Amino acid sequence: MKSSTHPYRPTRLRQGFERLIPKIVLSPSLVLMLVFVYGFIAYSLYLSFTDSTILPSYNLVGWRNYAKLWQLPHWWQAFRNLLIFSGLYISITTLLGLTLAIFLDQKIRGEGFLRPIYLYPMALSFIVTGTAWKWFLDPGIGLEHLMQQWGWSSFSFTWIKDSDMAIYTVVIAAVWQSSGFVMAMFLAGLRGVDGEIIKAAEIDGASTLTIYRRIILPMMRPVFLSSFVILAHLAIKSYDLIIALTGGGPGQATEMPATFMYSYSFTRNSMGVGAASAIIMMIMVFSIIIPYLYAEGRKESRE
Amino acid sequence: MKIVMVYFKKGLVTVAAWGLGLLIFVPILWTVLTSFKTEEEAVAPNLHILNFSWTLENYIEVQARSDYFHHFWNSVVISFGSTAIGLVIAVMAAWAMAFFPRRNTKDILSWMLSTKMMPAVGALIPIFLIFRDLNLLDSKMGLIIIMVLINLPIMVWMLYSYFKEIPLAILEASRMDGAGLWSEVTLILAPMALPGLFSTGLLNLILVWNEAFWTLNLTAADAAPLSAFIASYSSPEELFYAKLSAASTLAIAPILIIGWFSQKQLVRGLTFGAVK
Repeated sequence: MKSSTHPYRPTRLRQGFERLIPKIVLSPSLVLMLVFVYGFIAYSLYLSFTDSTILPSYNLVGWRNYAKLWQLPHWWQAFRNLLIFSGLYISITTLLGLTLAIFLDQKIRGEGFLRPIYLYPMALSFIVTGTAWKWFLDPGIGLEHLMQQWGWSSFSFTWIKDSDMAIYTVVIAAVWQSSGFVMAMFLAGLRGVDGEIIKAAEIDGASTLTIYRRIILPMMRPVFLSSFVILAHLAIKSYDLIIALTGGGPGQATEMPATFMYSYSFTRNSMGVGAASAIIMMIMVFSIIIPYLYAEGRKESRE
Repeated sequence: MKIVMVYFKKGLVTVAAWGLGLLIFVPILWTVLTSFKTEEEAVAPNLHILNFSWTLENYIEVQARSDYFHHFWNSVVISFGSTAIGLVIAVMAAWAMAFFPRRNTKDILSWMLSTKMMPAVGALIPIFLIFRDLNLLDSKMGLIIIMVLINLPIMVWMLYSYFKEIPLAILEASRMDGAGLWSEVTLILAPMALPGLFSTGLLNLILVWNEAFWTLNLTAADAAPLSAFIASYSSPEELFYAKLSAASTLAIAPILIIGWFSQKQLVRGLTFGAVK
């Protein structure tokens, strides 16, 4: 392969230089990513072991920030919110996305029009959609107000102001945002299923439900896996949506690790604790993507 | 009878699919419609969906009060600037990996993609400190640098996957005919790579346009693009429903138009290539 790429015979100097070009042009990307990812993470890691407060300090204090982090009710709240949020967000979005994909796969009228509509929320900034949802869910001006004006005077929907329920409003907005996108992943998977197999099952008298349950869905396992990884890392990273929708409130009811990290590092002047929480988040993301990449790599080497 | 059932089922699915589509579109439509109402009408007891007196006063007000075009221009500069710089760097990397593959090329690619999944907060403190020292806080240049850094992996990956679709036989034929590297790249690769470049650029424009984590944390008034501008609008002016809608509509209008034509690229990029 390598030798056949250079069948022409330029001078030896030029040949040597041209062979080096791919390496030279690849290096800027590699260096930038290495610095951005490892350099900065290493720096955050270092800060997480120091007594930095409002300014970075280089005085090492061991595991103190981590110990402190796990004693903070505020962090526990953020951590618990992340578990509730990601559990609901991932399962509902997957289910809804799959349903939408199955609908569209029936070759219904206007598919070309519906697909972009389903996808729109994902193409828009979380800040904008979060803001739109904020007033849509606001009892005084949004849905509740509207329903009452329409005559349903006992209608009440105050989740966004209720510290026990506010986290579920974040789930609603996030599900709305990503369902269409998961739909697109599943639709591509469904379209990739071999029609012959389905025809054979139909001839054998299998019902539509059985075909989906026994044949199509098991074949979609890779799609389930990649959508899980994508949704999970989005959940851990979620920041803009929270900021726009609830700002972490009421109180700390919708605080998530990313908003916690920001407030501890920059507004509460505990940069060390903030850095420690950032490192915990990195570990969470790593623990999801490393097995995934490993599995993908194995799949490729088998092929 | 069976045929009737089939049509019935299909009809039901169609209705459900359109119903869900409408449900998904309502918040967007709502925002756009509200932006053309007066403040009184936006919270009026009786709902007028289309039969209200359309007005542009919210838009005029938003522009007058917070200089929308200033932030719009920031968004344009940041997204086009970072896309241009990012493309130059990414094209080189993708070209090297697609046409001169080595044993570890695949590993490098998956590693690059994995970096895109990292939470940005991991790098926030160092970048904030460096930017403060270099006077890059609240500057468009600083944001352009950040946007290039965060989206470089996805650009390299997208371009790589497009380059991979170019048949090698054509390149080999040109080499047989004695074309050098330079003419190979400019005369043969460039025209064939153009659609991929265009798609990647489009995806990056959308990603940068929507980016909020970094814009919120690294800008104040001067360099704030639209995403940060909306965030600032949403808190203190809560009572101005219609004006907030106008500001939001202005921020999403370009994406509503681009998004319609670029769904394919969007899905491909956001799924990290799981969907082509």
